[in-house]
Amino acid sequence: MPQSKSILALCRHAPYGNALAREGLEAVLACAAMDQIPEVLFINDGVFQLLEQNPEAIGEKNLRRNLQALPMFGVETLHICKKSLEDRGLTPDQITVAGAELKFLDNPGAFIANFDQVLSF
Amino acid sequence: MKFTLVVYGAPHASEGAATALRFARALLQSDHGIYRVFFYGDGVHGGSALSAPPQDEQNLLGQWQELQSAHDLDLTICIAAAQRRGVLSSSEASRLEKPAGNLADGFELAGLGQLAEAAAVSDRLVTFGG
Repeated sequence: MPQSKSILALCRHAPYGNALAREGLEAVLACAAMDQIPEVLFINDGVFQLLEQNPEAIGEKNLRRNLQALPMFGVETLHICKKSLEDRGLTPDQITVAGAELKFLDNPGAFIANFDQVLSF
Repeated sequence: MKFTLVVYGAPHASEGAATALRFARALLQSDHGIYRVFFYGDGVHGGSALSAPPQDEQNLLGQWQELQSAHDLDLTICIAAAQRRGVLSSSEASRLEKPAGNLADGFELAGLGQLAEAAAVSDRLVTFGG
């Protein structure tokens, strides 16, 4: 199906506290697989998804694998809210995702307003 | 306008589940249309036929079913989210060797592609709960 609408996926939840973090990334991959390639913005506690994780300690699958699959599905740029990082004592240099370009946004509101559809996870 | 509603809120647990129903009803009473209601995350419990709230509380399942049959609504439950949480059709239950299916009449199980497609063809996509 040709992409007729611009789509943004907001990742707002920390990786393991709520299933929406995992299910959000699954939805992003499903959209991309349908050629409806969304942009992705990590905001609020969602920025914690971008850090290295050790979820085996709590019996969870590592969500970083889904994250690292994004560039292979055509989601090559990950947008990150700069203020959300700062509010949580994080800095941009703590974040690396193989194969993805990282863009740190000062004004996520203006960015979000550009899209036809927003999927909020 | 053509709307798609995405419901993350579990019924009788998150207000979002009930708000989605009222929003859907308001759309249908106006000049707007509903392309699809997509239940995802904990929202998939909305399609469980086993929901049995007390008589003096609102019955979300029954109201969705009434709306569905009156307006031929597309009520889609994400199959992956539903399997994790135990909302299965009879055929899924038998395929997965589970004792019973519990998918309510009026609801369909389908993949996440239905969310992507709905986002592509709807004028507005509105999220409830989560």
